[in-house]
Amino acid sequence: MECTWTGNQNKLPNITGYWKKDGNEIDSRLTVPLENEQYNLKGVFDIVGEESLGNYSCVFGSEAKIEFVLAAPQMGEVRDKPIVSYAGDSVVIACKMEEPKPKPSTWHWYKANGTDKALIDAAAEPHRYQIHSEGGKSTLTVRNLTQADAGFYYCGAVYLISTSLGRLEVRVITFLEPLKPFIAIVVEVLVLVAVILLYERKSKKKSITGSQKTKKEKRENSGGEESSSVRQRKV
Amino acid sequence: MAPAPEAELVVRPLDGGWGWVVVLGAFISIGFSYALPKAITVFFHEIQEEFTISYSDIAWISSIMLAAMYAGGPVSSLLVTTYGSRPVVILGGVMCWVSMVTASFGNSIIHLYICIGVIGGFGLSFNLNASLTIISKYFLAKRPLANGIAMAGSPVFLCLLAPLNQYLLSNFGWRGSFLILGAMLLNCCVAGSLMRPVTPPRNPSKAVSQKKLEEQTDVYGTSLKRNCMKNFRKFLDFSLFKDRGFVIYLIGSLMFFFGAYAPIVFLTAYAVKQGIEEYSAAYLLSIMGFVDMFARPGTGLLANTKWIRPRVQYFLSFAMVFTGSCHLMCSLGTGYVFLVVYTVLFGIGFGMMFGLIFECLMDLMGSQRFPSAVGLVTIIECCPMLLGPPAAGKGALVDITGDYKYLFIMCGSVILTGGVFLFVMNMYNYHMLDKERLKEHPPPEATVEQTAPEAIDETATQAEQMKTCKDDPRPESFETP
Repeated sequence: MECTWTGNQNKLPNITGYWKKDGNEIDSRLTVPLENEQYNLKGVFDIVGEESLGNYSCVFGSEAKIEFVLAAPQMGEVRDKPIVSYAGDSVVIACKMEEPKPKPSTWHWYKANGTDKALIDAAAEPHRYQIHSEGGKSTLTVRNLTQADAGFYYCGAVYLISTSLGRLEVRVITFLEPLKPFIAIVVEVLVLVAVILLYERKSKKKSITGSQKTKKEKRENSGGEESSSVRQRKV
Repeated sequence: MAPAPEAELVVRPLDGGWGWVVVLGAFISIGFSYALPKAITVFFHEIQEEFTISYSDIAWISSIMLAAMYAGGPVSSLLVTTYGSRPVVILGGVMCWVSMVTASFGNSIIHLYICIGVIGGFGLSFNLNASLTIISKYFLAKRPLANGIAMAGSPVFLCLLAPLNQYLLSNFGWRGSFLILGAMLLNCCVAGSLMRPVTPPRNPSKAVSQKKLEEQTDVYGTSLKRNCMKNFRKFLDFSLFKDRGFVIYLIGSLMFFFGAYAPIVFLTAYAVKQGIEEYSAAYLLSIMGFVDMFARPGTGLLANTKWIRPRVQYFLSFAMVFTGSCHLMCSLGTGYVFLVVYTVLFGIGFGMMFGLIFECLMDLMGSQRFPSAVGLVTIIECCPMLLGPPAAGKGALVDITGDYKYLFIMCGSVILTGGVFLFVMNMYNYHMLDKERLKEHPPPEATVEQTAPEAIDETATQAEQMKTCKDDPRPESFETP
């Protein structure tokens, strides 16, 4: 790793530079000369394993600090919402390491068991689990879901130096759960349709009987008037 | 003006009262029709993972659904003219219910194509066509307003369905969500039951002429005993092409639909390419939907005024010119604020277009010929609607030039040209219509002074009679005040 600093107003000819890992000094302090208006500090580190990963920083005197994070490639967007599936059905969960990032040598899948992770061995239970890994993508298929299969699953992208983990949640529900709102809405629809049609029939009957009544009244009125006039004439 | 004797049996549109309840029913029905194809895209990612297919495969579901919705036009026109609106909307609701419920048990993408795409699409087309027809039966003087309110159902339902679908997805998975969505679509049946058929008044003395009326309906609407040629003609009434106004409208609307959907499809990508973060870019579409919600009834209200109603076709051409210029303007500027302004204006233009597009067809055709006209128009509009986004986006422009700017320029210029075309041709059309009206009905000696709204009624009803008198021997007539 190489750090370059253009210095401050003072522009001292020499400045001390050193490397830190996770906050602790490593190696000895060096004297860094000013070349071409900048200070250059180079550090060479061997990556042997997981212990070699961490936060590295190069420090110039007491003025400038540049930080590096050395880590295995992390998975980009892993679903934070639970994947919902049904008892007796199968579910497919996938993890992906996007394009520019290097592909892992292999993928492992784990199921969370309390605070522990239990490795899923697809070969041992082929009728239940199926892992399909291809370069930067891996999918786990779980068949014949039961309530016990619900919970957190971890996918691990295995690299030489370490393994990157991604976490997914699987929820298992029975068919009854969506069935309840389904039936509720169907009942509501049937009730509304019945109410609307009944109301319409009622208002039609009213208008028919109403018009018949007014016709009757008209006839009665005219009849009454005639009889009264006849009576008058008689008298 | 002496109306033909049978015409007395046709009821004058209510223009109010139960009509507003019918508008509510149409609002729900149209809302589901337009919102559903777009709202189910929320589920695509999860279905895509379960079936392990590519995104373009699954995006076909929406395209098939939209295509079926428009292609089903002639079938639903035939059903509506035969049975009336109410049974057709109820049938549409049941079909959509069946489609979503069967889809929830699907295990392959083909199963989804058929269930959601074909069956669902046809169900929605029944809803759409029948709802528009019943509005034309219930309203005349206030019809633009009724149309505007009913069409506003689309953005409102889209706004409601999108977050609802997210909630359903995270709680029930896509299968359970489809099941519940199917039940919700059954509410279209409720909307349908509100659509009371408009019946002529029951009068025993006119029973004989009523029979004549039914026979005439039989000749023009329901006869299936005739030979195949005539059956096909009922299916797709090609005689409509003889109508000058119809052809002008058709060309204009084809040009609109070619350029209408591509900007929406690619707006987010265009914004992201300019450096705007994805969440804000997605927000742009919500802004457009929100503005659209108010633009549609607002347009209906405007179109109902005495200045615009008689010449509503000009308003449509203005809306098209406005929308086209909007897109052209978009290609000129950059930045989030600029895009927000563009989105608001686009929302207004889009809302104006959709608020008016069916109203203008009703204005041209009259409520008798509208069902068959709208069926023909929708099946023809299918093509540019499906071809537009891929042609503009992937195929022609973006891949070649690599810049979304040209997409907006292309869509804008197509729509602008269509608008200008409509404007010029409608000037010609109105001129010819006025000439024909003067020929058939020379102005009387004593001119009767009428108040402004009744005058609109007069011109509107006269215009309607003119159109229907030309081709239909049984014209609509309304008691002249």
